[in-house]
Amino acid sequence: MKKTNPSFLNGVPELLVLRLLSRREMYGYQIVEEIRTQTGKALSFGEGCIYPYLHYLEAEKQVSSQRREVEGRNRNYYKLTARGRKRLEELTSEWKRVTTGVSLLMGVQHG
Amino acid sequence: MARTDFIEQLRRRLLELGCPMVQVRRLVQEVADHHEDLKQAALSEGLSEADAEARANVQLGDPLALAEHLMAALRRSSWWGRHFLIGFCVLPLLAVPVLWALLLFLGLSLEFALGYSWDWKKLHVAADNPVAFHHLAMAVHGADYVAIGLATLLFCWLARRSAVSVTWMATACAICSLYALFGQAIIKPHSFAVGVSWTPHWIEAAIPLLIAGAIYVFHRRTKQRFQEQVAV
Repeated sequence: MKKTNPSFLNGVPELLVLRLLSRREMYGYQIVEEIRTQTGKALSFGEGCIYPYLHYLEAEKQVSSQRREVEGRNRNYYKLTARGRKRLEELTSEWKRVTTGVSLLMGVQHG
Repeated sequence: MARTDFIEQLRRRLLELGCPMVQVRRLVQEVADHHEDLKQAALSEGLSEADAEARANVQLGDPLALAEHLMAALRRSSWWGRHFLIGFCVLPLLAVPVLWALLLFLGLSLEFALGYSWDWKKLHVAADNPVAFHHLAMAVHGADYVAIGLATLLFCWLARRSAVSVTWMATACAICSLYALFGQAIIKPHSFAVGVSWTPHWIEAAIPLLIAGAIYVFHRRTKQRFQEQVAV
């Protein structure tokens, strides 16, 4: 089981999941695959470990889920709620603030 | 390992770790769906059925370790799971007196709402009447018993819901029991006090332990029934 993302990435899975779900509704496997491919395999969830995150976000009413059949397969589809969209905006601005700060510092040290 | 064995091992381990039944059903269903998706992806790459299943198993990893990860993530996802020391050791000490005061307040508010307005003067008059005083004392002590029972139920429910181990549920119940053993409300005609008594109150102290025991037995039986249903 792959679970190698460093601890300073706390909160990043939430941001990534909310960002992906802001584009379209998805099920667990799709989310894991999208994170892996869209981050160039730099970040990955352990297979199966996405579900407690999704359940947490659902308990926080940031996402909602619906079990339905698509192409002969039953799956739980997750989609972003209004609260989730608001949370995504907060996390995105926080992320931009942090990355800008870190980039400035790294630039100074390397420059 | 076949897919059914993988899923069965995951289910058993989640139950052993004290995962709530609702969560077990849901997590197992979603991991089974995930396993099927991984298998389909492998099949689409031209692997045989057996190889595709084996690769899906490898990708998902050891089912026992996966169950541990799922439980850890589940615990981290709630405040009670993250702060179990405060939640199940400190808060029970505060919960019992707060609930007791709340119940008394509700009782008095109900009397007020029903038109039996009360004030200190009336309470002093009641204190001089043996029958009325007996009722008043019953209300105070009754609220004490109910508060202890409610607090125990509340912490047992929170422990189950946040998927913390049975140890934390037992700790919260033991603390409620200790509080009940030595904490007391003394009501005498024209005086009232709340404090600690070194004379133990065994009946009140037994309430949390009985409730915890009943809940533990109930959950064990439900878990057994669930495993039997799955086996069938």
